[in-house]
Amino acid sequence: MEQLFDLALLNTALRVLAPILLAALGGALCARVGLFNVGLEGFMLLGAFAAIAGNYFFGNVLLAILFAVLVVLLFSLLFAYLSIHLKANVIVVGIAMNALAAGLTTFSLRAIFDVKGAFYDKEMVGLPKWDIPVLESVPGLGPILSGHTPLVYLAFLVAGLMWFYFYRTKNGFRFLASGENPLAASSLGIRVRRYQYGAVLASGVLCALAGAQLSLGQLTMFTEGMTDGRGFIALVATMLGQSGPLGVTAASLLFGFMEALSIRFQGLALPTHFTQMLPYLVTIAAMFFFKDKSFLKDAQKQGTSSR
Amino acid sequence: MKQGLRLFAPLLQPVAAVLVGLLVGAAAILIAGGEIWTTYAEMWKGAFGSFYFVTSTLARSTPIILVGLGAAFAFRAGFFNLGAPGQMIFGALAASLTGLYLPGPGWLICIAAILAGILAGGLWSVMAGYFDARFAVNLLISTLLLNYIADLFAGYLVSYPLRDTSGSAAMAQSAMLDSSVWLPKLFRGMPLHIGFLFAALLAVVIYVLLKRTRVGYEVRMLGGNPLFALYGGINRGTMMLGAMFFSGGLAGLGGAVEVLGSQYRYIDGALTSADYAWTGIMAALLARSNPLGTLLAAVFLAALQTGAMGVERNTEVPLEVGAIIQAALILFISAQFTYDFWKRKRGSKSHGTAV
Repeated sequence: MEQLFDLALLNTALRVLAPILLAALGGALCARVGLFNVGLEGFMLLGAFAAIAGNYFFGNVLLAILFAVLVVLLFSLLFAYLSIHLKANVIVVGIAMNALAAGLTTFSLRAIFDVKGAFYDKEMVGLPKWDIPVLESVPGLGPILSGHTPLVYLAFLVAGLMWFYFYRTKNGFRFLASGENPLAASSLGIRVRRYQYGAVLASGVLCALAGAQLSLGQLTMFTEGMTDGRGFIALVATMLGQSGPLGVTAASLLFGFMEALSIRFQGLALPTHFTQMLPYLVTIAAMFFFKDKSFLKDAQKQGTSSR
Repeated sequence: MKQGLRLFAPLLQPVAAVLVGLLVGAAAILIAGGEIWTTYAEMWKGAFGSFYFVTSTLARSTPIILVGLGAAFAFRAGFFNLGAPGQMIFGALAASLTGLYLPGPGWLICIAAILAGILAGGLWSVMAGYFDARFAVNLLISTLLLNYIADLFAGYLVSYPLRDTSGSAAMAQSAMLDSSVWLPKLFRGMPLHIGFLFAALLAVVIYVLLKRTRVGYEVRMLGGNPLFALYGGINRGTMMLGAMFFSGGLAGLGGAVEVLGSQYRYIDGALTSADYAWTGIMAALLARSNPLGTLLAAVFLAALQTGAMGVERNTEVPLEVGAIIQAALILFISAQFTYDFWKRKRGSKSHGTAV
């Protein structure tokens, strides 16, 4: 067992949880204004592709991330327009957006790079890894917390900022109010739609960053369907965390740890199928214990969901 | 004139959606550096260009129809069953296992394999329904997650214990079924098998079931107005489990006929990479959960896919142009753009029905 649990495992956990956390925070923003965003997976996949494409075109990591953000922002605008403005069913739109993202990325992979399956270029440089000066040398903590990409740190920063925004700012209160009771909020002069648009667009930005961390964070490559259900895991993290920044962070930590553990198990003689199953099994198990009541309410309000 | 309009009004929206999908596809073709007309001509030829292509389009549509009917049924009852991929995989797996290991005459094994497929898909689906009804585990999420588990589990079985070691194939797959178990082909030398007739027949049966029977009425009530259904004394829990079993069973049947009629073995990832299940769900969405419409939509989407293969064979444009057209179509349909948009403009309230 000693080989199984060590500091490197926790380091891996932080790395793999970042995309989930970023997307889940985006999902939480949407959930809080009453929009259940099933499209996180597609947003993230498109972000991952756009980040690689941007990196290839501009040869600059920062521009690549900006490009990814811009692309996914446009994509999420479509989602927002359809579901908020035209009042289309959010879940149906989300499914279609996922399909569209899958088609678009594979199509573009062929059309732009003329490859099938995966794109890799050894000239490309991925995200830098930051060694935090003082932290680095702290025994125990240093190897866990240091040496990550900026996006990993950003994920936690966003979680903190979101907590502050929700519970310590006037604008944040209005944001929450517009999701809690749209009618009452709008009667007070709160522009509910504006907050809804803001939430969806912000989730687009966060998912773009999540995708960038996936494609540029470690191997600097894009493979078809590389999000591999992480968007859905993020969706579950949103629900488990009751759409609150701290809860979402805790849930993402759990999934990050499970994923890191499953990567570690692959080194052992176990068939990879079962280790890959682990995050999904744990997610389902977790759903028996934590029930997101606010989600149930939203679903009932919409009258469209599973119950 | 007015009556004519009313007759064609429901058709207006799908037709407009198809046009928009083709427009978006045209943009994609231009970006990929292709010629719009030649590409669409190739697409048509790839889907319907010869009798062989027609039958291969219909063969491809068979599992899509079955999954679509299952999804449509669940949507009608007001449940978002997104677990069709997993239910289909379990159906295919159960059918191939039965086909491989059950002794007896071929036709009997074939029937048993089909039933096993329905049962496996239905039970996998009903499990999610039970979790929801009993423990309030959200159905939408659980069905999604169970897809990955089913795929990995089946992948494990055909990679290790059931792996076909006779051939030199590097693919993870089960052994080939005996040809006596195969579903008969409708035309000699053509890919179309008898499963298509099952699927078409089931579409009609489900249409009648929903429209004309008491159970169908209850299902529609539950989906359309859950409160009214409860007030009318419909037992939601029982209905949910029944609807989920039916829905998952159809997906399982889709997997079973694909194995028994086309592939003759379980090949790891063959069902997911062909995207039958999601296409089926899309067909149900496109047809707004009308069973007969789902049949047509499934054939249409299958044609889009086989057509796209033709495009890839004969032009520079990648196959995924079909996927893009498909998604654009669904987005457009979901927005209820044309027809409901105008209704909303005229001031009548929009209704938030499921599909």
